[in-house]
Amino acid sequence: MKRVLFAMLLLAGCASNPAPPGTQVDLARLQQGVVAGATTKAQLLATFGPTKNVVFDSGYEAWLYQAPAGGGRFSEFVVLIDPAGIVAKTRSRAPSAP
Amino acid sequence: MTRILYRAIPVLACLAGLCSPALAQTSQPATVTVQSTRDPVDKSYRKMIRGMERFERERAMAPNAPLRFQLLPRLPTVDMRGITLRVAGNSVSVPVPVAEDNSFVLPQNSVALREDAAVLANRKTTSMTWRAQIITPGLPPGSRRLGDMRLECRVGVEAGLVSNSSPLFAWINDALTSPEQVCGGPNGNYLFFADRPIFAVRLRHGARVETLPFTMLYAGGEQSKADLQYCDCQVMLDRTFYAPIWDASWPDDTLVEFEYMEGGK
Repeated sequence: MKRVLFAMLLLAGCASNPAPPGTQVDLARLQQGVVAGATTKAQLLATFGPTKNVVFDSGYEAWLYQAPAGGGRFSEFVVLIDPAGIVAKTRSRAPSAP
Repeated sequence: MTRILYRAIPVLACLAGLCSPALAQTSQPATVTVQSTRDPVDKSYRKMIRGMERFERERAMAPNAPLRFQLLPRLPTVDMRGITLRVAGNSVSVPVPVAEDNSFVLPQNSVALREDAAVLANRKTTSMTWRAQIITPGLPPGSRRLGDMRLECRVGVEAGLVSNSSPLFAWINDALTSPEQVCGGPNGNYLFFADRPIFAVRLRHGARVETLPFTMLYAGGEQSKADLQYCDCQVMLDRTFYAPIWDASWPDDTLVEFEYMEGGK
């Protein structure tokens, strides 16, 4: 019985791709709601929640959101926050071909 | 680190004599001849020369680029101004001119080669990281050429320049990894550094343009403060990226374009 359960767990693990790191948010919401030069870090947190990020010694931060793109794939939406806590730049990346 | 330990165990076992029963059976004391007093963390002149020879053999990847080596900061406290460099053997000391950007050309010296000399800077060895620098002249600003970077990886690993593990295990790692392993596959983990902090990196060849995924920037974006001390990207994390040098679908002439954090290209 334990062997069957173990095999089922293994198969379940193989059957689906794990969700990528980063909070999932609709791409249109991100593109409309995050404005370079205006949106603050606090607003990002309040509107879209915390997500995967890298904090640099310079005070800049890069935040990564994931936007579902169908078929289990995700677009990336990357936000650069400057040391003053204001969004400096954004960019999106289409999902790679399967 | 786990991968390194797995590789290290057989080596350590051999060093302990476990794989040499003949040695264990003899009652004769072993004689060890020390050929050099070079510190194992110093850069080996012989290895760097081997890297230069590899550059000559494989320069079809970067036919118009010269080979230089470059010193980069590894610790936040290191002062990168006024660095001096020399090739130091038992009986020879050859000064190496260092350019403003801390790059240099390594001179050929047969005595230094014979004496297994070290390449020494007037800084603590572990305070800096070293790289091969192969740059085709005349590229558009804010860009690199993928073939140059492929060759940089092969030369740099051959020359024994790159270490991203603790000094305790670095020599084992160096002994067990080849340029083909590091530069030929997606798990090679060879880090490149842009000239300024980057926000995006794009590959361009003809009409084909692709932005690198976030996982290929900033050393994967997964490094904790504790991990960073073993990464030679420690003080250059915002300039750090992986390039798909292993992916043959991108030709050597592919441009690697940077979008910087500040300003335009």
